[in-house]
Amino acid sequence: MNAPIVLSAKDVHVSRSGTAVLGGVSFDIVDRTREGAVTGQVVCILGPSGVGKTTLLRVLAGLDAPDAGAVTGVAGAPLVAGDVGLVFQDYPLIAHRTVRDNVVLAGTLRGLSGPKLEARADELLARVGLVAQASLFPAQLSGGQRQRAAIAQQLVVPRRLLLLDEPFSGLDPAALAGISELVVAVANEHDLNTVVIVTHDVRAALRVSDTVIILGRGAKGGGARVIETIDLCARGIAWGEGDDAARARIEREITERLTS
Amino acid sequence: MVSAVVPFDAKRIPRAHTLAFAAAWIVLAVVAWALAPVRTLPGPSEVLGALSRLWWEGGLGPELFQTVRLIAEATLVSAALSLGVAWSVTVPALRPLVRGLSKLRFLGLTGLVFPFTLAFGGGHGLKVALLVFGMSTFLVTQVARIVDEIPRAELDLMRVLGASRARTMWEVVVRGTLDKTLDAVRQNVAMGWSMITMVEGISRAEGGLGAMLLNQNKHFKLAEVYAILAVVLAVGLLIDLGMGALEAALCPHTRLTRSQS
Ligand SMILES: Nc1ncnc2c1ncn2[C@@H]1O[C@H](COP(=O)(O)OP(=O)(O)OP(=O)(O)O)[C@@H](O)[C@H]1O
Ligand SMILES: [Mg+2]
Repeated sequence: MNAPIVLSAKDVHVSRSGTAVLGGVSFDIVDRTREGAVTGQVVCILGPSGVGKTTLLRVLAGLDAPDAGAVTGVAGAPLVAGDVGLVFQDYPLIAHRTVRDNVVLAGTLRGLSGPKLEARADELLARVGLVAQASLFPAQLSGGQRQRAAIAQQLVVPRRLLLLDEPFSGLDPAALAGISELVVAVANEHDLNTVVIVTHDVRAALRVSDTVIILGRGAKGGGARVIETIDLCARGIAWGEGDDAARARIEREITERLTS
Repeated sequence: MVSAVVPFDAKRIPRAHTLAFAAAWIVLAVVAWALAPVRTLPGPSEVLGALSRLWWEGGLGPELFQTVRLIAEATLVSAALSLGVAWSVTVPALRPLVRGLSKLRFLGLTGLVFPFTLAFGGGHGLKVALLVFGMSTFLVTQVARIVDEIPRAELDLMRVLGASRARTMWEVVVRGTLDKTLDAVRQNVAMGWSMITMVEGISRAEGGLGAMLLNQNKHFKLAEVYAILAVVLAVGLLIDLGMGALEAALCPHTRLTRSQS
Protein backbone atom coordinates (compact mmCIF):
# COMPACT_ATOMS: atom_id res chain seq x y z
CA MET A 1 0.00 0.00 0.00
CA ASN A 2 1.24 3.47 -0.85
CA ALA A 3 1.72 5.93 2.01
CA PRO A 4 -0.82 8.78 1.85
CA ILE A 5 0.25 12.14 0.46
CA VAL A 6 0.22 14.97 3.02
CA LEU A 7 1.38 17.86 0.82
CA SER A 8 1.38 18.12 -2.93
CA ALA A 9 2.22 20.72 -5.56
CA LYS A 10 1.14 20.03 -9.13
CA ASP A 11 2.71 22.07 -11.91
CA VAL A 12 2.51 25.35 -9.98
CA HIS A 13 3.05 28.43 -12.16
CA VAL A 14 3.34 31.96 -10.77
CA SER A 15 4.26 35.13 -12.66
CA ARG A 16 5.18 38.47 -11.12
CA SER A 17 5.13 41.66 -13.21
CA GLY A 18 5.00 39.62 -16.40
CA THR A 19 7.98 37.35 -15.70
CA ALA A 20 7.62 33.71 -14.77
CA VAL A 21 8.87 33.11 -11.20
CA LEU A 22 7.62 29.57 -10.72
CA GLY A 23 7.54 27.58 -13.95
CA GLY A 24 5.83 24.34 -13.02
CA VAL A 25 6.82 23.30 -9.50
CA SER A 26 5.70 19.77 -8.66
CA PHE A 27 6.37 17.53 -5.68
CA ASP A 28 4.60 15.09 -3.39
CA ILE A 29 5.36 14.72 0.28
CA VAL A 30 4.24 11.38 1.70
CA ASP A 31 3.41 10.49 5.26
CA ARG A 32 6.54 9.09 6.93
CA THR A 33 6.16 6.24 9.34
CA ARG A 34 8.62 4.83 11.82
CA GLU A 35 8.30 1.83 14.14
CA GLY A 36 7.14 2.88 17.59
CA ALA A 37 7.26 6.65 17.11
CA VAL A 38 4.86 9.38 16.08
CA THR A 39 6.61 10.84 13.05
CA GLY A 40 5.68 13.93 11.11
CA GLN A 41 7.45 15.25 8.04
CA VAL A 42 10.16 17.88 7.80
CA VAL A 43 10.88 19.17 4.30
CA CYS A 44 13.65 21.59 3.44
CA ILE A 45 13.48 23.72 0.33
CA LEU A 46 16.86 24.89 -0.93
CA GLY A 47 17.63 27.19 -3.80
CA PRO A 48 19.58 30.30 -4.74
CA SER A 49 18.41 33.73 -3.61
CA GLY A 50 15.62 35.07 -5.78
CA VAL A 51 14.69 31.70 -7.26
CA GLY A 52 11.13 31.83 -5.90
CA LYS A 53 11.16 30.08 -2.52
CA THR A 54 9.14 32.76 -0.72
CA THR A 55 6.78 32.90 -3.68
CA LEU A 56 6.21 29.15 -3.36
CA LEU A 57 5.59 29.36 0.40
CA ARG A 58 2.95 32.07 -0.14
CA VAL A 59 1.13 29.75 -2.52
CA LEU A 60 1.38 26.85 -0.05
CA ALA A 61 0.04 29.12 2.71
CA GLY A 62 -3.03 29.97 0.64
CA LEU A 63 -2.03 33.65 0.49
CA ASP A 64 -1.59 33.78 -3.30
CA ALA A 65 -3.40 31.63 -5.83
CA PRO A 66 -1.12 30.13 -8.49
CA ASP A 67 -1.66 31.25 -12.09
CA ALA A 68 -1.84 27.59 -13.01
CA GLY A 69 -1.49 24.32 -11.14
CA ALA A 70 -2.65 23.46 -7.66
CA VAL A 71 -1.46 22.74 -4.14
CA THR A 72 -3.21 20.42 -1.72
CA GLY A 73 -2.72 19.23 1.83
CA VAL A 74 -3.67 16.10 3.75
CA ALA A 75 -6.14 13.90 1.79
CA GLY A 76 -6.12 16.34 -1.13
CA ALA A 77 -7.73 19.15 0.87
CA PRO A 78 -7.17 22.65 -0.52
CA LEU A 79 -4.73 24.86 1.40
CA VAL A 80 -6.61 27.87 2.77
CA ALA A 81 -5.10 30.96 4.44
CA GLY A 82 -5.65 30.63 8.16
CA ASP A 83 -5.31 26.85 8.15
CA VAL A 84 -1.59 26.91 7.34
CA GLY A 85 1.04 28.33 9.70
CA LEU A 86 3.62 30.61 8.08
CA VAL A 87 6.55 32.35 9.70
CA PHE A 88 7.55 35.11 7.31
CA GLN A 89 11.12 35.88 6.34
CA ASP A 90 11.12 39.22 8.20
CA TYR A 91 8.99 38.15 11.20
CA PRO A 92 6.22 40.75 11.19
CA LEU A 93 4.35 41.11 14.49
CA ILE A 94 1.48 43.33 15.56
CA ALA A 95 3.37 46.42 16.76
CA HIS A 96 0.86 47.71 19.30
CA ARG A 97 0.62 44.40 21.13
CA THR A 98 3.14 42.97 23.55
CA VAL A 99 4.87 39.70 22.75
CA ARG A 100 2.43 37.78 24.92
CA ASP A 101 -0.58 39.58 23.41
CA ASN A 102 0.70 38.75 19.94
CA VAL A 103 0.69 35.08 20.86
CA VAL A 104 -2.70 35.29 22.58
CA LEU A 105 -4.17 37.14 19.56
CA ALA A 106 -3.35 34.19 17.30
CA GLY A 107 -5.44 31.96 19.57
CA THR A 108 -8.31 34.43 19.85
CA LEU A 109 -8.55 34.64 16.07
CA ARG A 110 -9.11 30.88 15.89
CA GLY A 111 -11.77 30.85 18.58
CA LEU A 112 -9.68 30.00 21.64
CA SER A 113 -10.09 31.98 24.85
CA GLY A 114 -9.89 31.90 28.62
CA PRO A 115 -7.34 30.32 30.95
CA LYS A 116 -6.59 27.51 28.48
CA LEU A 117 -5.35 30.00 25.90
CA GLU A 118 -3.40 31.96 28.53
CA ALA A 119 -1.70 28.78 29.70
CA ARG A 120 -0.91 27.76 26.14
CA ALA A 121 0.62 31.16 25.42
CA ASP A 122 2.81 31.02 28.52
CA GLU A 123 3.89 27.47 27.71
CA LEU A 124 4.93 28.51 24.18
CA LEU A 125 6.79 31.58 25.41
CA ALA A 126 8.69 29.36 27.81
CA ARG A 127 9.42 26.94 24.98
CA VAL A 128 10.96 29.62 22.77
CA GLY A 129 12.70 31.29 25.72
CA LEU A 130 10.82 34.57 25.78
CA VAL A 131 9.38 34.53 29.30
CA ALA A 132 11.39 37.57 30.34
CA GLN A 133 10.33 39.44 27.18
CA ALA A 134 6.61 38.57 27.40
CA SER A 135 5.50 42.10 28.22
CA LEU A 136 7.81 43.91 25.78
CA PHE A 137 6.60 45.38 22.49
CA PRO A 138 7.99 44.01 19.20
CA ALA A 139 10.02 47.19 18.70
CA GLN A 140 11.96 46.34 21.86
CA LEU A 141 13.07 42.89 20.69
CA SER A 142 16.29 41.80 19.02
CA GLY A 143 16.07 40.13 15.61
CA GLY A 144 16.37 36.64 17.05
CA GLN A 145 13.80 37.33 19.77
CA ARG A 146 11.39 38.67 17.15
CA GLN A 147 11.80 35.52 15.17
CA ARG A 148 11.06 33.31 18.17
CA ALA A 149 8.01 35.41 19.02
CA ALA A 150 6.76 34.99 15.44
CA ILE A 151 7.27 31.23 15.68
CA ALA A 152 5.43 31.06 19.03
CA GLN A 153 2.58 33.03 17.48
CA GLN A 154 2.22 30.44 14.70
CA LEU A 155 2.27 27.52 17.13
CA VAL A 156 -0.64 28.58 19.38
CA VAL A 157 -3.16 26.85 17.18
CA PRO A 158 -1.96 23.41 16.10
CA ARG A 159 -2.07 23.08 12.31
CA ARG A 160 -1.15 20.21 10.04
CA LEU A 161 1.13 22.37 7.93
CA LEU A 162 3.69 24.88 9.17
CA LEU A 163 5.91 26.86 6.78
CA LEU A 164 9.07 28.63 7.92
CA ASP A 165 10.85 31.11 5.64
CA GLU A 166 14.55 31.09 6.54
CA PRO A 167 14.20 30.31 10.25
CA PHE A 168 17.94 29.61 10.56
CA SER A 169 19.29 32.88 9.23
CA GLY A 170 21.28 35.04 11.62
CA LEU A 171 21.20 32.61 14.55
CA ASP A 172 24.06 31.71 16.87
CA PRO A 173 24.82 27.96 17.18
CA ALA A 174 22.83 27.55 20.41
CA ALA A 175 19.76 29.33 19.02
CA LEU A 176 20.05 27.33 15.80
CA ALA A 177 20.07 24.07 17.76
CA GLY A 178 17.08 25.30 19.80
CA ILE A 179 15.00 26.21 16.75
CA SER A 180 15.95 22.96 15.00
CA GLU A 181 14.81 20.97 18.01
CA LEU A 182 11.56 22.92 18.18
CA VAL A 183 10.87 22.32 14.48
CA VAL A 184 11.37 18.58 14.81
CA ALA A 185 9.25 18.47 17.98
CA VAL A 186 6.39 20.32 16.27
CA ALA A 187 6.52 17.97 13.28
CA ASN A 188 6.47 14.93 15.54
CA GLU A 189 3.42 16.02 17.50
CA HIS A 190 1.21 14.27 14.95
CA ASP A 191 1.76 11.71 12.19
CA LEU A 192 0.23 14.02 9.60
CA ASN A 193 2.10 17.18 10.68
CA THR A 194 4.40 18.61 8.03
CA VAL A 195 6.92 21.38 8.53
CA VAL A 196 8.39 23.02 5.43
CA ILE A 197 11.57 25.02 5.91
CA VAL A 198 13.17 27.34 3.42
CA THR A 199 16.85 27.77 4.16
CA HIS A 200 20.30 28.45 2.74
CA ASP A 201 21.96 26.43 5.48
CA VAL A 202 22.53 22.98 3.93
CA ARG A 203 24.02 21.50 7.10
CA ALA A 204 21.10 22.63 9.26
CA ALA A 205 18.70 21.35 6.60
CA LEU A 206 20.26 17.89 6.71
CA ARG A 207 20.08 17.81 10.50
CA VAL A 208 16.34 18.36 10.72
CA SER A 209 14.69 17.14 7.53
CA ASP A 210 13.72 13.87 5.91
CA THR A 211 13.22 15.37 2.44
CA VAL A 212 15.25 18.00 0.62
CA ILE A 213 13.79 19.79 -2.39
CA ILE A 214 16.12 21.86 -4.56
CA LEU A 215 14.60 24.62 -6.64
CA GLY A 216 16.41 26.01 -9.63
CA ARG A 217 15.93 27.70 -12.93
CA GLY A 218 16.52 25.74 -16.09
CA ALA A 219 19.11 26.93 -18.60
CA LYS A 220 16.33 28.09 -20.92
CA GLY A 221 14.68 30.22 -18.22
CA GLY A 222 10.93 30.14 -17.77
CA GLY A 223 10.69 30.10 -14.00
CA ALA A 224 11.83 27.84 -11.18
CA ARG A 225 11.19 24.09 -11.02
CA VAL A 226 12.15 21.30 -8.70
CA ILE A 227 15.53 20.19 -10.04
CA GLU A 228 16.05 17.49 -7.46
CA THR A 229 14.25 15.80 -4.58
CA ILE A 230 16.44 13.95 -2.11
CA ASP A 231 14.85 11.35 0.15
CA LEU A 232 17.05 11.39 3.26
CA CYS A 233 15.26 8.34 4.68
CA ALA A 234 16.25 6.31 1.68
CA ARG A 235 19.81 7.62 2.07
CA GLY A 236 19.74 6.55 5.69
CA ILE A 237 20.56 9.89 7.31
CA ALA A 238 17.11 11.13 8.40
CA TRP A 239 16.12 11.31 12.08
CA GLY A 240 19.69 11.46 13.30
CA GLU A 241 20.56 8.09 11.75
CA GLY A 242 23.62 7.40 9.65
CA ASP A 243 27.20 8.52 10.14
CA ASP A 244 28.89 11.87 9.74
CA ALA A 245 30.73 10.72 6.62
CA ALA A 246 27.48 9.95 4.81
CA ARG A 247 26.03 13.27 5.93
CA ALA A 248 29.12 15.16 4.76
CA ARG A 249 28.98 13.41 1.38
CA ILE A 250 25.37 14.43 0.82
CA GLU A 251 26.10 17.94 2.02
CA ARG A 252 28.88 18.23 -0.57
CA GLU A 253 26.62 16.80 -3.24
CA ILE A 254 23.87 19.35 -2.51
CA THR A 255 26.29 22.28 -2.27
CA GLU A 256 27.69 21.34 -5.66
CA ARG A 257 24.20 21.14 -7.11
CA LEU A 258 23.42 24.62 -5.75
CA THR A 259 26.60 26.25 -7.00
CA SER A 260 26.71 24.66 -10.44
CA MET B 1 28.36 71.25 27.03
CA VAL B 2 30.36 71.02 23.80
CA SER B 3 27.98 68.42 22.35
CA ALA B 4 25.16 70.95 22.69
CA VAL B 5 26.42 72.72 19.58
CA VAL B 6 27.24 69.59 17.57
CA PRO B 7 24.56 68.61 15.03
CA PHE B 8 22.79 65.25 15.54
CA ASP B 9 23.92 64.98 19.15
CA ALA B 10 20.55 65.85 20.71
CA LYS B 11 20.21 62.37 22.26
CA ARG B 12 23.27 62.87 24.43
CA ILE B 13 21.92 66.02 26.07
CA PRO B 14 20.18 65.55 29.43
CA ARG B 15 16.55 66.65 29.52
CA ALA B 16 17.32 69.30 32.15
CA HIS B 17 19.79 70.95 29.79
CA THR B 18 17.25 70.96 26.95
CA LEU B 19 14.78 72.74 29.25
CA ALA B 20 17.47 75.19 30.32
CA PHE B 21 18.20 75.99 26.66
CA ALA B 22 14.49 76.58 26.05
CA ALA B 23 14.22 78.85 29.10
CA ALA B 24 17.28 80.83 28.01
CA TRP B 25 15.77 81.42 24.56
CA ILE B 26 12.46 82.57 26.08
CA VAL B 27 14.24 84.99 28.44
CA LEU B 28 16.24 86.29 25.49
CA ALA B 29 13.06 86.84 23.45
CA VAL B 30 11.32 88.71 26.30
CA VAL B 31 14.40 90.91 26.91
CA ALA B 32 14.58 91.73 23.20
CA TRP B 33 10.88 92.57 23.28
CA ALA B 34 11.23 94.84 26.36
CA LEU B 35 14.32 96.64 25.02
CA ALA B 36 13.24 96.91 21.38
CA PRO B 37 14.05 100.45 20.19
CA VAL B 38 11.21 100.55 17.64
CA ARG B 39 7.87 100.72 19.50
CA THR B 40 5.55 98.87 17.14
CA LEU B 41 4.54 96.45 19.88
CA PRO B 42 3.25 97.33 23.32
CA GLY B 43 5.79 96.31 25.99
CA PRO B 44 5.48 93.24 28.23
CA SER B 45 4.12 95.21 31.20
CA GLU B 46 1.39 96.84 29.11
CA VAL B 47 0.30 93.46 27.71
CA LEU B 48 0.29 91.92 31.19
CA GLY B 49 -1.81 94.80 32.47
CA ALA B 50 -4.26 94.39 29.59
CA LEU B 51 -4.43 90.67 30.24
CA SER B 52 -5.42 91.12 33.87
CA ARG B 53 -7.98 93.82 32.93
CA LEU B 54 -9.53 91.53 30.29
CA TRP B 55 -9.64 88.61 32.70
CA TRP B 56 -11.15 90.43 35.70
CA GLU B 57 -13.34 92.99 33.94
CA GLY B 58 -13.57 92.07 30.25
CA GLY B 59 -15.01 88.56 30.57
CA LEU B 60 -12.00 86.84 28.98
CA GLY B 61 -12.75 83.61 30.89
CA PRO B 62 -16.23 82.95 29.45
CA GLU B 63 -15.09 83.96 25.95
CA LEU B 64 -12.17 81.55 26.20
CA PHE B 65 -14.59 78.83 27.29
CA GLN B 66 -16.73 79.49 24.17
CA THR B 67 -13.72 79.14 21.92
CA VAL B 68 -12.44 75.97 23.56
CA ARG B 69 -15.93 74.46 23.36
CA LEU B 70 -16.08 75.32 19.66
CA ILE B 71 -12.73 73.69 18.86
CA ALA B 72 -13.69 70.59 20.87
CA GLU B 73 -16.98 70.24 19.03
CA ALA B 74 -15.41 70.83 15.61
CA THR B 75 -12.62 68.35 16.38
CA LEU B 76 -14.99 65.59 17.44
CA VAL B 77 -17.29 66.02 14.44
CA SER B 78 -14.38 66.37 12.03
CA ALA B 79 -12.53 63.34 13.42
CA ALA B 80 -15.65 61.16 13.30
CA LEU B 81 -16.41 62.16 9.70
CA SER B 82 -12.84 62.08 8.42
CA LEU B 83 -11.81 58.78 9.96
CA GLY B 84 -14.96 57.10 8.68
CA VAL B 85 -14.32 58.40 5.19
CA ALA B 86 -10.57 57.78 5.23
CA TRP B 87 -10.85 54.18 6.48
CA SER B 88 -13.13 53.44 3.57
CA VAL B 89 -10.15 53.74 1.17
CA THR B 90 -9.70 50.06 1.97
CA VAL B 91 -12.82 49.44 -0.17
CA PRO B 92 -11.81 49.82 -3.84
CA ALA B 93 -15.21 51.16 -4.94
CA LEU B 94 -15.03 53.98 -2.39
CA ARG B 95 -11.48 55.09 -3.20
CA PRO B 96 -12.42 57.71 -5.81
CA LEU B 97 -14.85 59.27 -3.33
CA VAL B 98 -12.12 59.64 -0.71
CA ARG B 99 -9.68 61.04 -3.26
CA GLY B 100 -12.32 63.54 -4.41
CA LEU B 101 -13.18 64.70 -0.90
CA SER B 102 -9.54 65.24 -0.07
CA LYS B 103 -9.13 67.40 -3.19
CA LEU B 104 -11.70 69.82 -1.75
CA ARG B 105 -9.00 71.16 0.56
CA PHE B 106 -7.84 73.38 -2.28
CA LEU B 107 -11.19 75.16 -2.18
CA GLY B 108 -10.45 77.19 0.94
CA LEU B 109 -13.01 78.60 3.34
CA THR B 110 -13.75 82.06 1.98
CA GLY B 111 -16.00 80.99 -0.86
CA LEU B 112 -17.95 78.70 1.43
CA VAL B 113 -19.18 81.31 3.90
CA PHE B 114 -22.17 82.25 1.78
CA PRO B 115 -23.48 78.78 0.84
CA PHE B 116 -22.78 77.52 4.36
CA THR B 117 -24.72 80.44 5.84
CA LEU B 118 -27.69 79.49 3.68
CA ALA B 119 -27.35 75.86 4.67
CA PHE B 120 -26.66 76.23 8.39
CA GLY B 121 -28.44 79.50 9.08
CA GLY B 122 -25.47 81.35 10.58
CA GLY B 123 -24.54 81.28 14.27
CA HIS B 124 -23.10 78.25 16.01
CA GLY B 125 -23.95 75.79 13.24
CA LEU B 126 -22.14 77.89 10.64
CA LYS B 127 -18.99 78.16 12.74
CA VAL B 128 -18.86 74.42 13.41
CA ALA B 129 -19.55 73.66 9.74
CA LEU B 130 -16.79 75.98 8.52
CA LEU B 131 -14.24 74.56 10.94
CA VAL B 132 -15.27 70.96 10.26
CA PHE B 133 -14.95 71.52 6.53
CA GLY B 134 -11.58 73.23 6.85
CA MET B 135 -10.22 70.56 9.16
CA SER B 136 -11.77 67.47 7.59
CA THR B 137 -10.49 67.92 4.06
CA PHE B 138 -6.95 67.82 5.44
CA LEU B 139 -7.59 65.06 7.97
CA VAL B 140 -9.15 62.80 5.33
CA THR B 141 -6.06 63.29 3.17
CA GLN B 142 -3.66 62.49 5.99
CA VAL B 143 -5.50 59.46 7.35
CA ALA B 144 -6.15 58.00 3.88
CA ARG B 145 -2.43 58.18 3.32
CA ILE B 146 -1.71 56.52 6.66
CA VAL B 147 -4.03 53.67 5.67
CA ASP B 148 -2.42 53.41 2.22
CA GLU B 149 0.98 53.06 3.83
CA ILE B 150 0.08 50.09 6.02
CA PRO B 151 2.68 47.44 5.15
CA ARG B 152 1.34 44.54 3.09
CA ALA B 153 3.11 42.21 5.56
CA GLU B 154 0.75 43.14 8.40
CA LEU B 155 -2.30 42.33 6.32
CA ASP B 156 -0.72 39.04 5.22
CA LEU B 157 0.07 38.15 8.83
CA MET B 158 -3.56 38.65 9.80
CA ARG B 159 -4.67 36.39 6.93
CA VAL B 160 -2.22 33.69 7.99
CA LEU B 161 -3.59 33.90 11.52
CA GLY B 162 -7.08 33.36 10.10
CA ALA B 163 -8.50 36.79 10.95
CA SER B 164 -11.79 37.93 9.44
CA ARG B 165 -11.79 41.09 7.34
CA ALA B 166 -13.60 42.98 10.08
CA ARG B 167 -11.03 41.88 12.64
CA THR B 168 -8.16 42.84 10.32
CA MET B 169 -9.81 46.23 9.80
CA TRP B 170 -9.89 46.79 13.54
CA GLU B 171 -6.50 45.32 14.44
CA VAL B 172 -4.37 46.69 11.59
CA VAL B 173 -6.22 49.72 10.25
CA VAL B 174 -7.99 51.23 13.26
CA ARG B 175 -5.95 50.13 16.26
CA GLY B 176 -2.71 49.54 14.37
CA THR B 177 -2.47 53.10 13.07
CA LEU B 178 -3.93 54.82 16.15
CA ASP B 179 -0.61 56.46 16.98
CA LYS B 180 -0.29 57.99 13.52
CA THR B 181 -3.98 58.86 13.37
CA LEU B 182 -3.85 60.64 16.73
CA ASP B 183 -0.82 62.51 15.47
CA ALA B 184 -2.80 63.60 12.40
CA VAL B 185 -5.74 64.69 14.57
CA ARG B 186 -3.29 66.62 16.71
CA GLN B 187 -1.96 68.49 13.67
CA ASN B 188 -5.52 69.04 12.63
CA VAL B 189 -6.54 70.57 15.95
CA ALA B 190 -3.63 72.96 15.53
CA MET B 191 -4.96 73.89 12.08
CA GLY B 192 -8.48 74.35 13.40
CA TRP B 193 -7.11 76.47 16.22
CA SER B 194 -5.29 78.70 13.76
CA MET B 195 -8.57 79.24 11.87
CA ILE B 196 -10.74 79.68 14.91
CA THR B 197 -10.41 83.42 15.54
CA MET B 198 -11.21 84.05 11.88
CA VAL B 199 -14.28 81.81 11.99
CA GLU B 200 -15.45 83.46 15.22
CA GLY B 201 -15.06 86.80 13.50
CA ILE B 202 -17.43 85.71 10.73
CA SER B 203 -20.27 85.00 13.17
CA ARG B 204 -19.85 87.07 16.29
CA ALA B 205 -23.17 86.49 18.07
CA GLU B 206 -21.78 83.85 20.42
CA GLY B 207 -18.65 85.78 21.29
CA GLY B 208 -15.43 83.85 21.73
CA LEU B 209 -11.83 85.00 21.51
CA GLY B 210 -12.16 85.85 17.81
CA ALA B 211 -15.07 88.22 18.36
CA MET B 212 -13.25 89.76 21.31
CA LEU B 213 -10.14 90.25 19.21
CA LEU B 214 -12.06 92.09 16.49
CA ASN B 215 -13.72 94.34 19.07
CA GLN B 216 -10.43 95.36 20.66
CA ASN B 217 -8.88 95.81 17.23
CA LYS B 218 -11.67 98.14 16.20
CA HIS B 219 -10.85 100.41 19.15
CA PHE B 220 -7.08 100.23 18.48
CA LYS B 221 -6.44 98.73 21.93
CA LEU B 222 -3.14 97.19 20.86
CA ALA B 223 -2.12 95.91 24.32
CA GLU B 224 -5.46 94.10 24.62
CA VAL B 225 -5.11 92.62 21.14
CA TYR B 226 -1.68 91.21 21.98
CA ALA B 227 -2.93 89.93 25.34
CA ILE B 228 -5.67 87.97 23.55
CA LEU B 229 -3.17 86.68 20.97
CA ALA B 230 -0.93 85.53 23.83
CA VAL B 231 -3.88 83.64 25.31
CA VAL B 232 -4.62 82.05 21.90
CA LEU B 233 -1.01 80.92 21.64
CA ALA B 234 -0.82 79.61 25.22
CA VAL B 235 -4.11 77.70 25.07
CA GLY B 236 -3.20 76.27 21.67
CA LEU B 237 0.06 74.96 23.11
CA LEU B 238 -1.79 73.49 26.11
CA ILE B 239 -4.23 71.65 23.86
CA ASP B 240 -1.32 70.30 21.84
CA LEU B 241 0.38 69.12 25.02
CA GLY B 242 -2.82 67.36 26.10
CA MET B 243 -3.15 65.59 22.75
CA GLY B 244 0.48 64.47 23.01
CA ALA B 245 -0.19 63.02 26.47
CA LEU B 246 -3.26 61.15 25.18
CA GLU B 247 -1.19 59.68 22.36
CA ALA B 248 1.54 58.56 24.75
CA ALA B 249 -1.01 56.93 27.04
CA LEU B 250 -2.84 55.02 24.29
CA CYS B 251 0.19 54.05 22.23
CA PRO B 252 3.13 53.41 24.55
CA HIS B 253 4.87 51.34 21.85
CA THR B 254 5.34 54.39 19.63
CA ARG B 255 7.51 56.22 22.10
CA LEU B 256 9.60 53.11 22.66
CA THR B 257 10.44 52.97 18.98
CA ARG B 258 11.21 56.64 18.75
CA SER B 259 13.47 57.03 21.76
CA GLN B 260 14.88 53.49 21.89
CA SER B 261 14.81 53.78 25.68
N1 LIG C 1 5.89 41.79 -6.85
C1 LIG C 1 6.90 41.39 -7.62
N2 LIG C 1 7.15 42.00 -8.78
C2 LIG C 1 8.17 41.60 -9.57
N3 LIG C 1 8.97 40.58 -9.26
C3 LIG C 1 8.77 39.93 -8.13
C4 LIG C 1 7.73 40.29 -7.24
N4 LIG C 1 7.77 39.46 -6.17
C5 LIG C 1 8.80 38.63 -6.40
N5 LIG C 1 9.40 38.91 -7.57
C6 LIG C 1 10.56 38.20 -8.14
O1 LIG C 1 10.36 36.83 -7.96
C7 LIG C 1 11.59 36.18 -7.73
C8 LIG C 1 11.47 35.25 -6.55
O2 LIG C 1 11.29 35.99 -5.38
P1 LIG C 1 11.25 35.24 -3.97
O3 LIG C 1 11.05 36.28 -2.94
O4 LIG C 1 10.28 34.15 -4.02
O5 LIG C 1 12.74 34.68 -3.90
P2 LIG C 1 13.41 33.77 -2.78
O6 LIG C 1 13.78 32.49 -3.41
O7 LIG C 1 12.55 33.71 -1.58
O8 LIG C 1 14.74 34.57 -2.48
P3 LIG C 1 15.52 34.81 -1.09
O9 LIG C 1 16.28 33.56 -0.81
O10 LIG C 1 16.45 35.92 -1.40
O11 LIG C 1 14.50 35.15 -0.05
C9 LIG C 1 12.63 37.27 -7.55
O12 LIG C 1 13.45 37.31 -8.69
C10 LIG C 1 11.84 38.54 -7.44
O13 LIG C 1 12.50 39.59 -8.08
MG1 LIG D 1 12.64 34.51 0.30
